[in-house]
Amino acid sequence: MNCVLEVNCVKAFGKAIHALSRIGEDLWLLALRSVNSAHSAYACFVFSPMFFQHYSLGSNQDQGSEIIHCKLAMKSVLPLFRSLTSIERNVERCQITINTTSDRVKIMFICKHGLTKTHNLHFQESESLQAEFAADLCPNILKAPARLFSDMVIHFPLSQEEITLSTTPHRVSLRNYYEEGNDHLKFMYTEMSLHPDEFEHFQVGVESDITFCLKELRGFLAFAESHCLPVSVLFGAAGKPVCFFIEDMFLEATVVLATLPASDNRSPSHSPRCGEAVAPATTPQDVPAETEMIMSSKGSPIFQPPFPSLHYLESLVPEEDVASGAATPASSQICSLLFKALSSEQDDNLGAAHLSVLACYSDTEEAVEGETRRSASF
Amino acid sequence: MPLSTQSQADDEQYVLVASLDNARNLSNILKAITFKDHAIFNATPNGLKVTVEDSKCLQANAFIQADIFQEFTIREDVVGFQVNLTVLLDCLNIFGGSIVPGLSTALRMCYKGYGYPLTLFLEEGGVVTVCKINTQEPEELIDFEFCSANVTNKVILLSESLREPFSELDTTSEVLEITMSPDQPYFRLSTFGNSGNAHYDYPKDSEMMELFRCTTTQTNRYKMSLLKPSTKALALSSKVSVRTDSRGFLSLQYLVRNDCGQVCFVEYYCCPDEEVE
Repeated sequence: MNCVLEVNCVKAFGKAIHALSRIGEDLWLLALRSVNSAHSAYACFVFSPMFFQHYSLGSNQDQGSEIIHCKLAMKSVLPLFRSLTSIERNVERCQITINTTSDRVKIMFICKHGLTKTHNLHFQESESLQAEFAADLCPNILKAPARLFSDMVIHFPLSQEEITLSTTPHRVSLRNYYEEGNDHLKFMYTEMSLHPDEFEHFQVGVESDITFCLKELRGFLAFAESHCLPVSVLFGAAGKPVCFFIEDMFLEATVVLATLPASDNRSPSHSPRCGEAVAPATTPQDVPAETEMIMSSKGSPIFQPPFPSLHYLESLVPEEDVASGAATPASSQICSLLFKALSSEQDDNLGAAHLSVLACYSDTEEAVEGETRRSASF
Repeated sequence: MPLSTQSQADDEQYVLVASLDNARNLSNILKAITFKDHAIFNATPNGLKVTVEDSKCLQANAFIQADIFQEFTIREDVVGFQVNLTVLLDCLNIFGGSIVPGLSTALRMCYKGYGYPLTLFLEEGGVVTVCKINTQEPEELIDFEFCSANVTNKVILLSESLREPFSELDTTSEVLEITMSPDQPYFRLSTFGNSGNAHYDYPKDSEMMELFRCTTTQTNRYKMSLLKPSTKALALSSKVSVRTDSRGFLSLQYLVRNDCGQVCFVEYYCCPDEEVE
């Protein structure tokens, strides 16, 4: 695989890597992705072939269009893109080549005055990394310019780990999250509210309070802001993952974060809650239909990007290893698709509503054919 | 200036007297070779040479010609002594390192000879400080036997093109490999670190390449720990000449312009890393 980027794109590429470096220690190349060690945060930046000056898949040895998923250590890649200002000053073009025979990725910067910097990095071939997120089942969708979100999070100190986003049909508020038992006197409590009118798109199917990690999101918001792109936030009830999404003509980026389940004294398992959270939403408010309507009326390519989409499941496919003890078959499917991993903490017969694994290696889901297969091909 | 009011009689006891209106013209260049505590000073009527060595494999020299000094008097053919370079730099910067326009530290450096300390008279804004630094017997310097006749490859590059690569060099690599060749890749710096290798290529016709004279293809490796300190000299310089001889010994010569626009030289000699051979 071989691609060439011109300087402004190299900067964007570099910024994407900076954003991803806040999430995990490894970088999956080609469709830059990263996941944190707890598997509770996943980010993916996909660049369309148009982003590149030159883009070709398929190796020189004519191995066919084998898709290579290469995993690099973030600490090998980040230093190459660390100083974006010096890249802007010196770099004319960047060429990235993946050589499967030698297990090396060659990143070559063609700089001014004829100088070239070539870096050959080891990579590991690994399974593709993909988070599953049933976007069309999300009852709540917010969309606003990145600036709005940046302005909201700027009020929280950099050390703030988690924040809670509360949504009602009339109001969106963001506050910091602290665990019970912390000394409240030493703590600064911040909360801000926004009116639905502040958002480009405001849809609240289910009132919810979701708590997620802010740190992992900051890099992504910085990227979105630098590209002046609107950010879409898709989420449901507490415990279900939240997805932040941006796109333009050349790229698409997603961050999926796990959210804390609502208080533990509620029920011993999450599956019934998932079911409850989703099922009531569908019937009274007819959310999926509304979602459909929004999708097509806006004509927005949110769920149908111009180039093969990757991470949204277009249809629910029955999961073979769904546990039998779930409340309703539909809800358990949803849960198992969202939280695929096996959990040691939950009861096995209730399926997996384990927050700690959100993104799993997609080759373990051979059962999920069709769209997912196609979508994993980028 | 108080320093200049010293009587003639005092001067006669010194074998070396060197004065500078701006001590920074000396301290800046010495910073380019301060990677070890001790330095050997060698003064001749031509000027001052300060040398620092490391592990018998690396030698760095700073040359400050006599005409850079406002006063340079030497009563013997050669005057040599060894001092603690870190202490000397601290004294030269005794009035603080901040650069205030118009205000500079004046220096008068005096040495009475073998067994006597090096005396520094420093003045700024009317305040005079006298520092006496103990001297030691100078150690014998390595002669790298690097002569122009044996030089096989030589390039002169503008320092600005090397600064960034040098500062970015992968420090997990134990060696820095330098390839010089009349054919591709012409001039290449390579590192071999934990994540992989990196190459920095400079074509012979680049605007950054002021001179390119390579006769044979040579690839030599040098310990990264020895060459990394040269980054300081690179930062101060405007041009650098890179030469290798038939044995693979490396000579780096940096052209440094001081605050007054005068030219000084800093030179690094390095042996190749023997494990490769």
